[in-house]
Amino acid sequence: MGIWDHVIAGVLAVFQSDPVLGVPLTILMVLGGFLLGITVGATPGLAGPMAMAISLPILISIFGFSNDALLPVLGFLIGIMKGATVGGAVPAILFNTPGTPDAYMTTLDGYPLAQKGEARKALRVAHFASASGDTFSDIVLVVCAPFLAIMVESYLDLPEKTALLILSLAFIASVIGGSVGKGIISMGLGLLAAMVATGEDFYPRLTMGQPSLSEGIPIAAAILGVLILGEVFKALEDIYLDDRSAKAQTGVNVQESKVEFLELRKLFPYIGRSAVIGTCIGALPGIGSTLAATLGYTTAKRRYAIKKSASDPEFGEGAPEGIAATEAANSSVSGANLIPVLSLGIPGNAAAVFLILAMDSIGGFNPGPSVFRLDGGIGDGALNPEMVMAFGLFTTMFVANGFNWTIGGIFMRVVGVMARIPKARLLPIVLLLTLTAIYVQETSMVAVWITIFCGFLGYIMRRVGMSPLPFVIAFILGGNLEATARQAFAATGADPFFLFNSPIALVFILLAIGVVIYSLRSTAR
Amino acid sequence: MTTFLKATAAAAILSIASVTSALAEGHGWKPEGPIKMMIAFAAGGGADTHARLIAEDLQAATGWEIVPEQVTGKGGVNALVALKEMPADGTAIAMVVTESIGYNAAAAKGAGISPSDFTGLTTTAGFQMGVVAKAEKGWTSFEDMIAAAKEGELRFGTMSPKLSDLAYLLGEAHGVEFNIVQVRGGKAVMNGVQAGDMDLGFMAGIQGKGVASGDLVNLASALSEPLKQTPDAPTFADLGVSFNADGYFVFVAPAGMDPAAREALTAAIVESTNSGKANGMITKAFGGPVNIQGAELDALFQSDFEAAGALMEAAQ
Repeated sequence: MGIWDHVIAGVLAVFQSDPVLGVPLTILMVLGGFLLGITVGATPGLAGPMAMAISLPILISIFGFSNDALLPVLGFLIGIMKGATVGGAVPAILFNTPGTPDAYMTTLDGYPLAQKGEARKALRVAHFASASGDTFSDIVLVVCAPFLAIMVESYLDLPEKTALLILSLAFIASVIGGSVGKGIISMGLGLLAAMVATGEDFYPRLTMGQPSLSEGIPIAAAILGVLILGEVFKALEDIYLDDRSAKAQTGVNVQESKVEFLELRKLFPYIGRSAVIGTCIGALPGIGSTLAATLGYTTAKRRYAIKKSASDPEFGEGAPEGIAATEAANSSVSGANLIPVLSLGIPGNAAAVFLILAMDSIGGFNPGPSVFRLDGGIGDGALNPEMVMAFGLFTTMFVANGFNWTIGGIFMRVVGVMARIPKARLLPIVLLLTLTAIYVQETSMVAVWITIFCGFLGYIMRRVGMSPLPFVIAFILGGNLEATARQAFAATGADPFFLFNSPIALVFILLAIGVVIYSLRSTAR
Repeated sequence: MTTFLKATAAAAILSIASVTSALAEGHGWKPEGPIKMMIAFAAGGGADTHARLIAEDLQAATGWEIVPEQVTGKGGVNALVALKEMPADGTAIAMVVTESIGYNAAAAKGAGISPSDFTGLTTTAGFQMGVVAKAEKGWTSFEDMIAAAKEGELRFGTMSPKLSDLAYLLGEAHGVEFNIVQVRGGKAVMNGVQAGDMDLGFMAGIQGKGVASGDLVNLASALSEPLKQTPDAPTFADLGVSFNADGYFVFVAPAGMDPAAREALTAAIVESTNSGKANGMITKAFGGPVNIQGAELDALFQSDFEAAGALMEAAQ
């Protein structure tokens, strides 16, 4: 049986699933997930992975553990993932409150543009860039998944992975925000928070004897606290301190501003570059979409500085190119992200973690190198059921992309109305939604207190001009960094110089040092 | 005559049935509120899934409200520390592994827990703990792997301090020193082995499908008895290691529980591991349910806890 037989069988598995109301069940599930995802993504305070976490147990209890359950359940989760990616730009652009760390860079140009009264334009650009990046990434996934993951993995051993994580942290700390020093402090605080109660010992470290901290700081509490509550606190203070400016901010003017094709064409180079960057980053295990967004944004910034005409706005003052570059980069991670998931079973970001959890729980599909084997079937000439499933999965991704291009666009235009809500009314709602989401997810008041604490931390960071993003990334990667470093140290027979003994790891470390020094010198100038 | 025999048999079956149903209904014990079920494993993994399925079956069979909740970390010690403070009236139970109450409780001195702090209910399934490598390595037996280890350093993936100790002792018994890489959970060992970050590692049942398809090889059984899937692989005792990784998933409650409550809960959990969805999943992943309960379970906890010191000393 050739590869095409598997492709056809996979596509048919989706389109010939049991019809409900005349529509194949799997397609219906993708649509349901997509609508949920886009709503969740567009709601300040909620994010895709959270919706996936809540849906997964419900879906499994409905569909059970049979093999038939796999595609509908995964289809729904993929729908959420895609919907939330495109929807995530909405709160970032309209309210300056990114729901996920990857959407943070979108606020830099999206919010200024919305304040100028061009919220719809910003949303359209975000939708176009996001959908293009996503589609590009899915095509790469389908073409390259089998080869690429195995190749990447064979070059990166544990020391190289440790060095790569150090490089990503160094890059993010020094590139984001105006000051390298503040970036590194922000990253250091994030690493410190990630160290609480983790590690290999049997007693929880750094908890100061508090039993409530013994499971560590909940990831949602830290991230939503710093990113959303920090912004809400700052905005509330702004309103309190300056009534006039609050009135000025009240209601972003939503005018029907058309985005001409010519304007979109100007964005193509930015979207293209970012899509390639996002796809490459997505294919690396464990790095994730935030680095992609950052890299996409900074490369675009450099190009824009050379190419722009004098009348165009600067990056950070509402340049559509900034939104396009960020959204294309963070969306193009989601497809490529499945490369390490399917070929090695290693998740690249939070969304991928839930896909793996679903595959694990339902069974019948074990991500790993065996997925893409032509001889994986039982007996000669039989189809490999896992490869069929993989192509079924790809089909659901393209179906979700179809919804993204069609319904996604309409939805983005509709939610523009939300921008009319005055900030003084909206902020308390965002606050309530965020705290409720945390409580629902963690079911403990301690998590709520931690969120509020992190909110104050985020507020102080904003007040002293420190970017909260390095904190968030360091918090996410901190545990991973420690575990990989520990494992690399053990695997090399306790070699203290494990980061410098292989050429690839050495290059990564030198680049990490280089990027900090380079950024220090360029800010000094 | 045959009619008489049939009638007697029918009567006997009927009476047994009525006695069992009377037992099932007439435990005389009911929880005073919802039962909080703490699960010491990451959400979505094999261990978590089987706990949640049991919760579902349990709720359907008894009508008691079960609220599953994740309390993960420190090899089950976090869940046990939380459980110790809960009321012993049957409204709080936890699913851990026997290793949590044995080795991990002994090793986590600061946590202040020991088997006497808990009431064992029942085990649900045993580990199928094997020493596993990728078939691509070309090793068909344990000796092949040791020969390779003598040529150059091998990386041995483990998922708990106890297993790291065992890996060390296994190497020591054969004159080799493994680079022992401890990761979180059997799934992580499997990923490491599949991706080539580790050469071999401990897997507690997760390897079943890979071994069946020929991608993975069970080189040895880390149990006191042979693996169900690969009965020919030598056990740790055969390989000169006097300790083993025998272990089970187990439900526990706080100490000082009312015997009626203990009995009712135990019976209900045993019932749900032997029927329904939970049974299907346990059979698929762990080779069938194993229900050790009562005094036998208490003795198992105690001996595991006491053996921990000997193992730690041997691995020093």
